[in-house]
Amino acid sequence: MTVPKEMPEKWARARPPPSWSRKKPSWGTEEERRARANDREYNEKFQYASNCIKTSKYNILTFLPVNLFEQFQEVANTYFLFLLILQLIPQISSLSWFTTIVPLVLVLTITAVKDATDDYFRHKSDNQVNNRQSQVLINGILQQEQWMNVCVGDIIKLENNQFVAADLLLLSSSEPHGLCYIETAELDGETNMKVRQAIPITSELGDISKLAKFDGEVICEPPNNKLDKFSGTLYWKEDKFPLSNQNMLLRGCVLRNTEWCFGLVIFAGPDTKLMQNSGRTKFKRTSIDRLMNTLVLWIFGFLVCMGVILAIGNAIWEHEVGTRFQVYLPWDEAVDSAFFSGFLSFWSYIIILNTVVPISLYVSVEVIRLGHSYFINWDKKMFCMKKRTPAEARTTTLNEELGQVEYIFSDKTGTLTQNIMVFNKCSIYGRSYGDVFDVLGHKAELGEKPEPVDFSFNPLADKKFLFWDPSLLEAVKIGDPHTHEFFRLLSLCHTVMSEEKNEGELYYKAQSPDEGALVTAARNFGFVFRSRTPKTITVHEMGTAITYQLLAILDFNNIRKRMSVIVRNPEGKIRLYCKGADTILLDRLHHSTQELLNTTMDHLNEYAGEGLRTLVLAYRDLDEEYYEEWAERRLQASLAQDSREDRLASIYEEVENNMMLLGATAIEDKLQQGVPETIALLTLANIKIWVLTGDKQETAVNIGYSCKMLTDDMTEVFIVTGHTVLEVREELRKAREKMMDSSRSVGNGFTYQEKLSSSKLTSDLEAVAGEYALVINGHSLAHALEADMELEFLETACACKAVICCRVTPLQKAQVVELVKKYKKAVTLAIGDGANDVSMIKTAHIGVGISGQEGIQAVLASDYSFSQFKFLQRLLLVHGRWSYLRMCKFLCYFFYKNFAFTMVHFWFGFFCGFSAQTVYDQYFITLYNIVYTSLPVLAMGVFDQDVPEQRSMEYPKLYEPGQLNLLFNKREFFICIAQGIYTSVLMFFIPYGVFAEATRDDGTQLADYQSFAVTVATSLVIVVSVQIGLDTGYWTAINHFFIWGSLAVYFAILFAMHSNGLFDMFPNQFRFVGNAQNTLAQPTVWLTIVLTTVVCIMPVVAFRFLRLNLKPDLSDTVRYTQLVRKKQKAQHRCMRRVGRTGSRRSGYAFSHQEGFGELIMSGKNMRLSSLALSSFTTRSSSSWIESLRRKKSDSASSPSGGADKPLKG
Amino acid sequence: MEETPPHCLSRLPDNSALKQQELPAHQLYFTATRVLSAFFTMGIFCLCMGIILIVSARSTQEIEINYTRTCANCAKLRETASNFDKECTCSIPFYLSEKMMGNVYMYYKLHGFHQNLYRYIQSRSNRQLMGKDVKAVEDCSPFKTSNSNTPIVPCGAIANSMFNDTIILSYNINSSAQIKVPMLKSGLTWWTDKYIKFQNPSFKNLADEFRGTTKPPNWPNPIYELDEKDPRNNGFLNEDFIVWMPGAAFPTFKKLYGRLNQTHHFKEGLPAGNYSFNITYNFPVTRFQGEKSVVLSTLTWCGGNSLFLGLAYTVTGAVTWLASFAMMAIHTMLKSKKRSFFHQ
Repeated sequence: MTVPKEMPEKWARARPPPSWSRKKPSWGTEEERRARANDREYNEKFQYASNCIKTSKYNILTFLPVNLFEQFQEVANTYFLFLLILQLIPQISSLSWFTTIVPLVLVLTITAVKDATDDYFRHKSDNQVNNRQSQVLINGILQQEQWMNVCVGDIIKLENNQFVAADLLLLSSSEPHGLCYIETAELDGETNMKVRQAIPITSELGDISKLAKFDGEVICEPPNNKLDKFSGTLYWKEDKFPLSNQNMLLRGCVLRNTEWCFGLVIFAGPDTKLMQNSGRTKFKRTSIDRLMNTLVLWIFGFLVCMGVILAIGNAIWEHEVGTRFQVYLPWDEAVDSAFFSGFLSFWSYIIILNTVVPISLYVSVEVIRLGHSYFINWDKKMFCMKKRTPAEARTTTLNEELGQVEYIFSDKTGTLTQNIMVFNKCSIYGRSYGDVFDVLGHKAELGEKPEPVDFSFNPLADKKFLFWDPSLLEAVKIGDPHTHEFFRLLSLCHTVMSEEKNEGELYYKAQSPDEGALVTAARNFGFVFRSRTPKTITVHEMGTAITYQLLAILDFNNIRKRMSVIVRNPEGKIRLYCKGADTILLDRLHHSTQELLNTTMDHLNEYAGEGLRTLVLAYRDLDEEYYEEWAERRLQASLAQDSREDRLASIYEEVENNMMLLGATAIEDKLQQGVPETIALLTLANIKIWVLTGDKQETAVNIGYSCKMLTDDMTEVFIVTGHTVLEVREELRKAREKMMDSSRSVGNGFTYQEKLSSSKLTSDLEAVAGEYALVINGHSLAHALEADMELEFLETACACKAVICCRVTPLQKAQVVELVKKYKKAVTLAIGDGANDVSMIKTAHIGVGISGQEGIQAVLASDYSFSQFKFLQRLLLVHGRWSYLRMCKFLCYFFYKNFAFTMVHFWFGFFCGFSAQTVYDQYFITLYNIVYTSLPVLAMGVFDQDVPEQRSMEYPKLYEPGQLNLLFNKREFFICIAQGIYTSVLMFFIPYGVFAEATRDDGTQLADYQSFAVTVATSLVIVVSVQIGLDTGYWTAINHFFIWGSLAVYFAILFAMHSNGLFDMFPNQFRFVGNAQNTLAQPTVWLTIVLTTVVCIMPVVAFRFLRLNLKPDLSDTVRYTQLVRKKQKAQHRCMRRVGRTGSRRSGYAFSHQEGFGELIMSGKNMRLSSLALSSFTTRSSSSWIESLRRKKSDSASSPSGGADKPLKG
Repeated sequence: MEETPPHCLSRLPDNSALKQQELPAHQLYFTATRVLSAFFTMGIFCLCMGIILIVSARSTQEIEINYTRTCANCAKLRETASNFDKECTCSIPFYLSEKMMGNVYMYYKLHGFHQNLYRYIQSRSNRQLMGKDVKAVEDCSPFKTSNSNTPIVPCGAIANSMFNDTIILSYNINSSAQIKVPMLKSGLTWWTDKYIKFQNPSFKNLADEFRGTTKPPNWPNPIYELDEKDPRNNGFLNEDFIVWMPGAAFPTFKKLYGRLNQTHHFKEGLPAGNYSFNITYNFPVTRFQGEKSVVLSTLTWCGGNSLFLGLAYTVTGAVTWLASFAMMAIHTMLKSKKRSFFHQ
């Protein structure tokens, strides 16, 4: 079955329709669920949701009412509706209804069209999902059914690689013991396979006839969104069987490595855990949004003030003048006093002046953001050729915030690193292999590698494996015993499983990529791990198959940090092979190896200095009696009821002693492309990068070094590993003191305490001299994040140049982000690839998901996604910066143009008896914002660039104005408003001065209202067009077209509206007949327009010119230096791999869970056929599964949420 | 999961200049040469313009005589509405020291009369005025119909408040002989007003056409009797009526009353000498503290005797020049300091 991979993605992205709010059976909320197999009538009683999912919101009939209802829930739309209603009251209406309704309808239509398109695609994806086929057991026959027709209580059959159609109770499978493997990547992002097992009683229901007779009833919990919990009971044949999550297959999983399985549908459609989890993520707003809303509120306040002033003016005027003017204009019947007239005039002026907050503001902002999002989607430079994934702006409303990021929280594995381990170097018996030498014998730099080593002698070699040092292969070929033993160890001591599809085509399934890398290395060097049974391991050593007897696997765990195997070779010798972290293993070596140990240590240090992950290998020969005795004790311990783990550990410890050192391996945790460069560049842009990883401290620190977050030039790297509150506090305090000490010039150590008490975090710690880094462990972080310490932690961390938090849980990741968000008032960005990053991605202002990696959970939760970490620099420095710049310029101009437009009415009020007479023709008011001035500013908002993209990468400092919020803030807003008001004053008073006296050249009066309106409107359109011309920094053809086009359209519409034809048809609507041609033929009018334009624009030009001279900002400087290219640029070019010198750090390469050892030894995962061959003594039937389950539930229920199991970083 | 589905191949973004934000464009630089030369040019332009405007405005002549106080007795009479049928005339002598050359225009000027009130401006019916339907009075409140419910023609507050003083300019050739200065009552309006906006229902008997309607309350005569001498200057096409109908933008405004008919004594304009305005005072203004004047004026290419535009241009030009000098000074100072990036 070919199912497009994105399908589940679409389910989850969709917003759950309101109807999902528990459409439940008539008796109220479901308290428990009952489902009887093969009994549709019985199950129908409960009216459970069918398996048809509906993520769409509307259908053809409901679209209009529902969509309108939703749109009017937006404050802005309601406001305009309110204005519209005001306009319908004749006493206060000073504008025609259409001046409001036209823009409102336009806005509503645009939004509705967008919603309709979205919904259409949702319908389509729903249909596609609902029409997938599955095999359902109906009346004893397997029938093809569409997914949407699957009901609760049905038994369905799944085949390998199929999506699970609903939440199923696993009944039986093709595998022994009712086992079944699933991949849950769509659900939780984890790609490693998971095991599910049917309960024993049903696992025998292998064929259809038996299943058809199955009539068990499941009683279980109601639908919920907990992915890892399920509790229920199966009642069958008067017996009860407990059910747990271990028996469930959830919708969205994919069946793997299992031919078929049968399952009983428990939850269908919207009740499934996948759908229950697909809640809409919290709607994020940008800081500009929030600022904009505040400003709009202020403007409303301002509007009301103006209304009040004019209303008072009206009351006074009516009292003083209006009463006497009643011969010519009696008051309206409704008006009985000047006071009441003032009251009405207040509302009239609210209507007239409402254009200070134009409805088109919100739409335009959305349009611009949408444009920017498309630019991100279209960017070829953010397209990953390898994975064929373009960058994607999944949220279209956050773009400008990308230009303001101050903190980046990054995941490690899969984000900074590729999660590909490469066997890079090794040290065998005191000799180091793996360095690449060029012809002259110098260590070659990366990038100029010679030919890789040729492994063609070995037919079983993995073609993808590359190694550069030929001397190692030579050592193998001449039969150096240490080298052979080294690779033998690598081929034996692991928990990898092999699969051989065709002869010679080996596939290794390793639980951790490091193990895979090691076994693959051994394979290429002639020690091919071929197959294993519970009791044997078959290895092809230099072409000959040798079968070792596997006596014991001393499995890895976090405390031991090592693993061993005990094998008996064909000659009968028993040997223990061990690999593990150097810190642990070096203490357990035989003292005779001291000299070798020293050389190996040197090598280890060197490897660690290069950021490689190291493991030490050792072996020990065991004699028969000792082993027998030890094995006996081990058996005893494993049967012990209490503290079994501890006992086993001490027994293991005993045998892993006095070992002989063989050497060490160094594995490179491959960084993603361009990571160090990106980090360096972002650091230069004043962005602080914190790495939050689930990985171990050593690994994390190693990666920190290899991606240049940490360098050896750093003054100090503080490592906080305290286990108690006091320890952590002490460690943080010491770190701070050290930083203070080194940079202390004034004050004493206690000053910061006072600062802590004040909520605002201003700190001279931020300005400490020297570079520091902080590494903090998950368990310490738990204390550091407590309420009384979080500020101390934050202050310490922010003073450091780099912060690495290791072994953190997903929740802690989110907490750290939240902490910074809360106190630093800075924009945060979280980037990650896995399910464990989802919480932090959702918490941060901006979440970025790395696509094309494990699972899609992070991508689903993210706002932006792309497939390489290095694209982040482009996203922030180019797209983000531009978006911010454009949005700021847009807003400045937008407020300016509307104030210039609207305030003219205010001044006119003083001349027209405050009677709410508008200055302009009502058509001009209607069209000003949506036609005459909208497109040029939109074009600027979408296309403007101050400096070319290469420059923003070259001068990362250009990013700073965004972080400091310099381009649009309250001050800038007031400047724009002031400019707008200034313009409006000139716009009114210059024509007033001219018109009050002048006459036309034919003697007729010039100062009639209509000519005045046309003159002011024309000069306004010209002034704002010239202003947008000045604001547009980047004149593309589109800008030209829109700016000139807008002017042309203005004059075209003006003449059309004032034409005879329209007047003939609608004499009462188009009253300005002949005005344009009569007015605009006057030289005086044009002289007025020119003067107004000059007086409005010249100060702006002068101001900008002076600012450029006196206080140029960086972008100006860059713009002007562009022609004279200068030195400065290469700051980031000197970022080659430097620093072979290594301080003593080491990492060890184990990133997998324990537990596979037991699985292997039990043989449960082997096919029966292969089991039959092995002499396999059965132990108590489900013991390993029991213990596996217990371990899992232990770690899941521990408060730290499984902190001790290595999370993918 | 490794294989890339074929549809992914199409996911490579287009390499178009638009999509890659690489549209050819030119950038706006505020370089010193450009800005300063723009300022200098603009300054010169404004100064020249200003001087030209001032000179041409000074070349016109204008006389304005406020007759509100002079005719106080008439004003008093008109304050009581019941005296509407009592005639009141008033004569205002004045001396023209210089002769007014060329076309002379006579205006009446009202002070404090708000033709720009919202309800006032709205109160007219264009459908009626264009002669389509003389009974269309829907927009005309509060002067739609008379008490007996007959539609008013022309309806509305604007028409009702039409200026109805008669102003006659007399020239005293000598101390005894007075001749009336001939004034033209045509060409006072726009072409579009006369031929499109205002139309009589037909050219036949206007009185018949307006049957079934009534005159506005303030009017002494119905619309078809506005000009007793010239039958064509009646109905909606009466020039005084058309001049009155477009609302003025500001409370103080002047409207054209007539233009000099350049014949006989007045071929070259108004000769210097003694004149008087003989005014039939009908239009009450003192009730709302308004004033009225009569204005005689000559014109140039840029209109009347208005200095505002000329002065504004001159000031702007001067300021622009000063500013450009200041900017140049600042620029040179800074340039010598750091001869860096502002290059031409």
